Amino acid sequence: MQKEDLIKKNPLRVLNPLSPESLPDHRMGLIMARAGLGKTAILVQIAMDSMLRDQKVLHVSIGEGLEKAKAWYEDIFKYIAGGFQLENAAGIEDELMRNRMIMTFKESAFSRPKLEERLNDLVYQNIFRPDIVVVDGYDFAEADYDSVMDLKEMTAAMNVQAWFSSLRHRDDNRKSAAGVPAPCHEVDGLFDTVIILQPEKESILLNIIKDEYDGAAGKILNLDPSTMMVKEA
Amino acid sequence: MEAILEGTPTEEMIRKAVRTGTLSLELVPVFMGSAYKNKGVQPMLDAVTEYLPDPKDIKNTALDLSNAEKEFVLTPDPGAPLTSLAFKLEDGRYGQLTYIRIYQGTMKKGDTIVNSRDGKKVKVGRLVRMHSDEMEDIEEAAAGDIVALFGIDCASGDTFTSPDISVSMSSMHVPEPVISLAILPVDNKAQVNMSKALNRFTKEDPTFRTYVDHETNETIISGMGELHLEVYVERMKREYKAEVQVGQPQVAYRETITQRADFNYTHKKQTGGSGQFGRVAGYMEPMDEGEYEFVDQIVGGAIPREFISSCDKGFQKSLAKGTLAGAPITGVRVAINDGASHAVDSSDVAFQLAAVGAFKEGYHKAAPVILEPIMKVAVEGPSEFQGAVMGSLNQRRGIIVGTVEEANYTSVEAEVPLSEMFGYSTVLRSLTQGKAEFTME
Repeated sequence: MQKEDLIKKNPLRVLNPLSPESLPDHRMGLIMARAGLGKTAILVQIAMDSMLRDQKVLHVSIGEGLEKAKAWYEDIFKYIAGGFQLENAAGIEDELMRNRMIMTFKESAFSRPKLEERLNDLVYQNIFRPDIVVVDGYDFAEADYDSVMDLKEMTAAMNVQAWFSSLRHRDDNRKSAAGVPAPCHEVDGLFDTVIILQPEKESILLNIIKDEYDGAAGKILNLDPSTMMVKEA
Repeated sequence: MEAILEGTPTEEMIRKAVRTGTLSLELVPVFMGSAYKNKGVQPMLDAVTEYLPDPKDIKNTALDLSNAEKEFVLTPDPGAPLTSLAFKLEDGRYGQLTYIRIYQGTMKKGDTIVNSRDGKKVKVGRLVRMHSDEMEDIEEAAAGDIVALFGIDCASGDTFTSPDISVSMSSMHVPEPVISLAILPVDNKAQVNMSKALNRFTKEDPTFRTYVDHETNETIISGMGELHLEVYVERMKREYKAEVQVGQPQVAYRETITQRADFNYTHKKQTGGSGQFGRVAGYMEPMDEGEYEFVDQIVGGAIPREFISSCDKGFQKSLAKGTLAGAPITGVRVAINDGASHAVDSSDVAFQLAAVGAFKEGYHKAAPVILEPIMKVAVEGPSEFQGAVMGSLNQRRGIIVGTVEEANYTSVEAEVPLSEMFGYSTVLRSLTQGKAEFTME
């Protein structure tokens, strides 16, 4: 299979259609799930899809190491390359990884000003200009409305798309009017897209409960729990 | 586990559990102490004997040279035939001191032992046990001992055995050198001392190589990095009084092909007397792993059997020097599937030359490229310099893979072409007030 077919066939097209006019410049997306259901896997697949389309991705990992983040990309790429019998896989992987940069922060070392400073370092020196930022491990339970707003303003000012993951707790049943569970129930208005992962018998459902732009709201995708790959429901 | 639940684990059980965990690499016992103040050293050494694997727990293997290099398990039995490995050399006052570890059997003073690399027999003269820089003469040493021998000429990684067996310990992994320097002695005296020094260094350190480039007549030293070579140049000066001038280091480039290409080449020469004739046809294609592979797909004797290896030889000759930058060619699979010969004029030489011509023909069509070594570089330093560090790596054509941010410290990981990294240590020092450092592999 060729790279172009891979882009077309990606189930994530529901979220990111190829016609560019429908794509917002600085969308904020959120993926919520309980621990171990595959938040990172989905973030990486969203990132990988953008990388395949020659967009630059900045992966911000809070609380996890660089090697772990790299391993996620390697694994997901391996599944894609193997599963779709991608031609010239090694060459494409080389090319793809040039579209990616990983920043890892210790929990205590992450803050909006710090991220902004790092981003500015990259952009002003013309080292790397991200089109999309995925943030894995941001602690919404500790964050208030203003700090999430702050992040939204920053990504809007830099004109980048941003995706966040958030951990849900089993025993916290609070929900917003739109159905977004805690700890993000108070900040749900800041996100354009919200996806909830729900375990089912044999698979994990990706429930797109909110999508402001492309009318994907209400659609459901599947996540294969053995490979953590997104597929159509 | 049950004992813990019942609240009655014995000391012996705990020790056994710690040992099991340590051996399976699931537990790492940590001891604190100070060698300087002699605190905690004894418990640590006791723990070494108690928790670390003893020679019986580890399966050491050697290659049986008399049986097609089959794996051969060594037993730590003093009665078995001797097998030992020379792992470190030192140039002392009394000549070369060779550190060896005995894996099997016993070594006695006066024994005759064989170096399995070259088959040379040597007699064990002085056998000593080392206590830091003091030596204690001993009469014999058995499996498990680490001792030193005097007056034995060998290289690091050589295996010594008793004459009745022929085995070789699996050789140490020696990475290929990545950087070379041209050195030129300043005068005749330095020339003599330099060759003595180089002789010594190559024996001590298998990653350090030296050769004379016949094209430029320069002496080239190669090693694992800038600093590695700097140390040897300095040692030449200090220990051997060999003053040398150092030339710009040369990076080991490689060439490879990126697509499949066919070739069909006829070598013909007629200059009176017997001529030369050979035709070689086939294809070459890129290969991800390995340097070179020769595939013989000839059917029906288009090239006579005896000349197949001549073709292989010819291709291998061509690999030594690519046409783009004169660098060695790597990652090529060459297959021959047709050809022609002449009853009188075909010969080994004719087919070798035909293969060289065929390779040249195919190589041009196979979209050759030059490969340059890319190094994984990690720079660590205070966060305030991160921007400058990333800028400096970017300037060197580096691709920044990622950054790791901890409290006030950041490390940046990047992939940078080796040729851009010369002198980076100085640049980094001045950029970061000497507060950052880098490693490269």
